[in-house]
This record gives sequence, C-alpha cells and structure tokens, in this order.
Amino acid sequence: MQITAQLTAHIVTATVEAFEMMVGHPVELQTQGPEAPADWPSHVAATVAFGGHRNGVVCIHSSATTANTIAGAMLGIEPGEVNGEMPDAMGEVANLVAGAFRTKLAAEEPVSMITVPTVTVGSDFSTHTASGSVRQIYPFRMGNEAVLVELVLMDR
Amino acid sequence: MRILVVDDSSTMRRIIINTLTKIGYSDYLEAGNGREGVDKLSAGPVGLIITDWNMPEMSGVEFIKAVRANEQTKHIPALMVTTNAAQDDIAQAMAAGVNNYLVKPFTPDSIKEKIQVVLKSAQAA
Repeated sequence: MQITAQLTAHIVTATVEAFEMMVGHPVELQTQGPEAPADWPSHVAATVAFGGHRNGVVCIHSSATTANTIAGAMLGIEPGEVNGEMPDAMGEVANLVAGAFRTKLAAEEPVSMITVPTVTVGSDFSTHTASGSVRQIYPFRMGNEAVLVELVLMDR
Repeated sequence: MRILVVDDSSTMRRIIINTLTKIGYSDYLEAGNGREGVDKLSAGPVGLIITDWNMPEMSGVEFIKAVRANEQTKHIPALMVTTNAAQDDIAQAMAAGVNNYLVKPFTPDSIKEKIQVVLKSAQAA
C-alpha cells in the first residue's frame, strides 16, 4: 500500500478547491513529505475518517491563530470576533477536503464513506499513525500562515 | 419567501445564509438536523428547503423523504448541498425527492444559480 501520485493529486486539489471556494483564502502547496516539520505549531487538528473500499483519515492542522483566521473568513467576520465558532469551522474544512477527496476517488473506484468531523484543540500534542498505515504530509501556505494536511491510509 | 437551511455545521449554515442575504433572501429558518427541520416546517410556511445530507439524528435524505410524505410540506422545493457527489449519491437523493443538487465546496454564484433553477421549476410546476 502506498500513497500514489494520483492520490496526492486528489488530496491537493481537494484542499485547494475547499480553501479557494469556501474559505476565500487560496492555499499553495509547499514541499511534501512523510513527516511534519519539527517546528510545526499544531494547536488545532480537524479530522475526518473514511472507510469502505479505502480506510484512512484526512486531518487539517494549524495554529490557533490561523484557525481563527479561517473561521472568520468562512463566517464573514474578523478573526478577533470569532468566539467559539472555530472548532465547527475547522471541522467543516476537514469535511470539505475529505468529501471532495472521496468524490474524486469515487470516479475511479468503489465509493468509500466519510465520518463526521472531530476537532482537537490544545497546545502540546502530536498525532501518530498505527502500524500498517502510511502517511503523507502536505504543507500549504495561506498567505503568511501555514496549514498542514495529513493523509493516512490504513491497510485493513 | 422564507428559506429553511438545514445543516449540522453552524459554519456552513452561516455561509449559506450570508450568501442568501447577499442575493436578496433575508427571511430564513435554521435547523441542525432533519428532525429539527421537520419541527421548523410545522411552525409556519417555508418556500424553499436547503439541506445537507450527512447529519446526526436524521439525515438529509431521510428528512426529504419525511417532507415528501407529508401533505402539508410535500410541495416545498428542496436543494441538497453536500459533499456526497458520487453518481449513486445523486441518484439516491433525487429518488428521495430532492429537486436539485449542489456539491460542496461551492461558489456563491453556483448556489445562487441552483436556487434560481429550483424556484423557477417550482413555479412552473
């Protein structure tokens, strides 16, 4: 099992489309790899899992500041006015990316299902994958801010 | 015309309502799932339903089936706005009684266009 160039193209396109259309802040892919940068400030992690023909997760990571910028843009308010809406907004971003990824896959293979989003907010945590899984990290820039998309596929 | 917006994400409801307001529809109701949507419909007349698919308690497809099974609400035009975009998904939603279908992510222009198509076809019916 591996994350092919085709899967990478699908997750990158899904991310670019979601941010351009629903967040209103375009994102640009940086150099990708299997591990997150050591200095990555992940304070918010929004995850949607998928299962069926393929099993895995899509996770959107960002700092709390960037998450508020995203939430404010989606809600049509200033980032400083965001008051408790950020987790729902980040969950919806994960839902949009995972949903578009699923749709692109469904054109080529049996359809998989996606779960409702879960959002983790904190200041000192890291995410790890289980054995039998492969992971790819896609760092994006959103203006001067950073957003990281994580794709994990599980061999089960 | 009052529009009922049904989505479990408050962010997505706000995006849709902001778009509706920009294109001239400022009378709306909100519901967080299909069950709440059914309750809102019993509270007064609604001219258009915009609903998500994947929601807790009652999904968008179950909600539309309930709307179509009720004599008081079966005529209300419905637009489904969802990430479910496989051909089988669209066929299932249309079979349940959805009038039109919009895939997330969407642009303000695309939802405006879909709303106009749904309302025009409802007027012609």
